[in-house]
Amino acid sequence: MDTTVGDVYEVFRQEEQGDPFRHAGNLLAPDDDLALQYARDLYGRRHESVRLWVVRRAAIMEVKDADLLASQLDRTYREGAGYRITVEKRKALRARVAAERGEAK
Amino acid sequence: MIDEKLVPLLMALADDELVLGYRDSEWTGIAPLLEEDVALSSMAQDEIGHARMFYEMVSGILDKSPDSIALGREPSGFHHCRLVERPRGDWAYSMARQFLYDAADGVRLEMLTRSTHKPLALGVAKVIREEKYHRMHGESWIGKLAHGTDESHRRLEAALLQLWPDLPGFFEPVEGEAELVKAGVLPEPFSALLPRWWQVVEPVLARHGLHGPNLGLNAFSDHSGYGGREGRHSEDFVKLWNEMTLVYGVDPEAVW
Repeated sequence: MDTTVGDVYEVFRQEEQGDPFRHAGNLLAPDDDLALQYARDLYGRRHESVRLWVVRRAAIMEVKDADLLASQLDRTYREGAGYRITVEKRKALRARVAAERGEAK
Repeated sequence: MIDEKLVPLLMALADDELVLGYRDSEWTGIAPLLEEDVALSSMAQDEIGHARMFYEMVSGILDKSPDSIALGREPSGFHHCRLVERPRGDWAYSMARQFLYDAADGVRLEMLTRSTHKPLALGVAKVIREEKYHRMHGESWIGKLAHGTDESHRRLEAALLQLWPDLPGFFEPVEGEAELVKAGVLPEPFSALLPRWWQVVEPVLARHGLHGPNLGLNAFSDHSGYGGREGRHSEDFVKLWNEMTLVYGVDPEAVW
């Protein structure tokens, strides 16, 4: 893309009031004002959006470091799946309590 | 008010939008960048949509189809101002014309919202919502070209100077204007809009260092650019008319 005529802007659109904003695409514009106008023409002129967010691509901060996003060590103990054993433990506990109460009677 | 008396006014409004929309559409495919291509083409379609609304009002009065009203005329039957019929020129010329025209159209539409002819006042209120966006676009480009490069600044200044003599023609009276004003269909004569137009344009030009003795109300000579509202057009329009009516002329009854 020829970026000598401007900057790349990323556009997010909301389809209905209350919907989350979803990435719609991007555009090239000479300045912020025209970026807003082009966003309207490219992503909003057919009534497909009730609101647009237009962000200079350069203003978007990014996290893509594998060291941060994909740990090298086993972290399964932090995940929900790691707690599956509590289901079994709770079952056993209930059974034990019930048995003890039965004995007390 | 007899409806027929409204026709010259409605035709002037419609023809301005049709012809300018057509000129803008000539940039489709060759605008400076793809996004602008889409934006300007969309605006050209907006203008033609506004023209259609006015032609439909005429259609209700004359009992003729909007298409035949729009295209079934000789060049001398068109009532647009000369400003809009000039060839598109370079990008600076088209953007400067769009900016100056939209400012004029803006004050004209504002006036028409106060018309005693209710269908006109209501229709115009819808058009205003789209024109607001056109004005933002024009102003952006004036700033962009004024502060871009030496070449863009030079081209913009040349465009403004070239456009200037045509501008009073926008405010040329339409046929039967005095009567329309009397009936309140036109709240004011068109000439009363000129100073209001300048109030919109002047700050933008001044902000971008485009203020000069040759760009101002004083630089207008009387009746400069007049003729269009009476159907007197330049050779440029005859060429454009040939193109615009080419398909319609082959078979006016064709259904699309």
